[in-house]
Amino acid sequence: MGENEEKRTLTYLERLKQKAITQENYGGEIKEEEAKMEVHDCPECGAGRAFRQGLTACAYCGFKFMDIRLTDGVHIKKENNS
Amino acid sequence: MFGLFDKKYHNPELLETIRQTQDRWFDFLDKLETRMHEMCMAAVPEIREVFNQDTDLYKRAHGHMLMGLRGQIDQMRHKANKTKEENIFYFIDCATAELPDFISSAGREYHNKLHTFRMDCINRHYIFEEKIAHYTSLLNNAAGEQDLEAIYQEQLTAFENIRDKFVCKQCGGNMTIPQIFFIATYITCPFCQTQNTFIPSTGAQMVLHQARCLAEQRTAHLLKIYEETKPKNHHLYQQYLRSMFDEWNKIVPDMAEENEKFHQRLLQDHSNSINHY
Amino acid sequence: MSENPLLAPIHGITLEDYSAACAKLGSGLSEADIAKALGVELPVWQEANLLWPERMKQDSTYHIVTLFGQYFGAADQHPKFGNLKPAASAGGSDNIEKIKTDKDFYLELEVARQVAYEYGLDGAQWILDKYSIPIGDFQIAASLWSDQILKDIHANHEGYNQRQDVYRAKYQQLFADAQGGNVADDIEF
Repeated sequence: MGENEEKRTLTYLERLKQKAITQENYGGEIKEEEAKMEVHDCPECGAGRAFRQGLTACAYCGFKFMDIRLTDGVHIKKENNS
Repeated sequence: MFGLFDKKYHNPELLETIRQTQDRWFDFLDKLETRMHEMCMAAVPEIREVFNQDTDLYKRAHGHMLMGLRGQIDQMRHKANKTKEENIFYFIDCATAELPDFISSAGREYHNKLHTFRMDCINRHYIFEEKIAHYTSLLNNAAGEQDLEAIYQEQLTAFENIRDKFVCKQCGGNMTIPQIFFIATYITCPFCQTQNTFIPSTGAQMVLHQARCLAEQRTAHLLKIYEETKPKNHHLYQQYLRSMFDEWNKIVPDMAEENEKFHQRLLQDHSNSINHY
Repeated sequence: MSENPLLAPIHGITLEDYSAACAKLGSGLSEADIAKALGVELPVWQEANLLWPERMKQDSTYHIVTLFGQYFGAADQHPKFGNLKPAASAGGSDNIEKIKTDKDFYLELEVARQVAYEYGLDGAQWILDKYSIPIGDFQIAASLWSDQILKDIHANHEGYNQRQDVYRAKYQQLFADAQGGNVADDIEF
């Protein structure tokens, strides 16, 4: 193996490595976010989100948080329809 | 007229060209293999380094580097294939067209020589392809397996540390997250019954995507036993699959019901593939 | 269609909704944007996002995956997403339109994207940098053109391959030059 050939391979590798490390990935860096808790008050009457009337409508004024029919999913079940 | 075919056919020039072409072909592939070896041996430690330093959740710097290297191997493969078509097969076709008929004894000798030449070149090319497979798997395995168990255990510990740290956004009461969640979910405050939304950390959400790979890592020994048994034993595969799904379900219990449906499908696919033989 | 239980909506989110949502996620919309457009909250969307792929895994007929591809391609016509565009893509709208109306443009860029990966680049990012086309719109174009391309291949296989080879050679040259050549460029027969 000649010196030139060896240099050619190493130059290629070095460039490839730099390119791999420095190029921007599609969608950018994935931000690592901490776990968090949120609450969505009723935008209509301002009441807190009560459990007893289900997930889809406000327990106080009937405002529809979500205009859908919940089915049996992973944690959310049919019974959670308001 | 039959006497015509019995005339001895001599073409020392063609023999010499065959010899030279074969030498050049072997030499050409030798050089490509040497270069491939050189590139891959130098690349292995670099791949490892990039992998270990890659902070991206999907290890994309490592992935792109690997694809680049495989691209270069592919470029060499393409070069060899093109040369085989243009300089070996085309030469054989032209030479064949010039020879006396195959059914004459004079022609047969040279047809046989060309045939041997063709086979020698193909066999040498086959060795080249085997080297490609060897170096490709060398590159693919250079970084080693990601230790998914350690990543998973880290997430479990992280969850234990935060599970009691939340308060209800409505009444401020302490809330304990009942189990580790991998997707956003509603959690009811035990004091005021308000529906809070819990959104797991990015790390916890990743567990869901890595769960199958981790279960496969945990049960790889069983898959190996199945793969090494000859003839293939269907029951060993079933045993492996059952254990893999058991582990998978242990990691993400919420998905057990869906996983079982997928398990049924894989069992069915596997028994269908066996019945075809 | 309602006969197949695997096609029943998940929390009211149909396969059409889900497929269009995936296309739009790829075009730069966030999960929060998606949930909002579908009129649901994040936990509901995330469950649907988890369970639709499970349905596909369970379906050995590949019917759901096939429909997914068709609906994905029609994402721009989906009433809940049609007018939603990520804030950052304003400059690329000409190319985003072009790739969905100009088949040759799509074919060439598809080859370019693949070759970019072979040269260690993030092909999706390269397309975004050069043409301002997000991957979601690229994939929408892919499913819009797939039937026509199959017909083209069927009608003139050789012509199709020749053109692909021309594109390949063009981008191999481009990316090889940018990295100072291929490792084995000096080795000749």
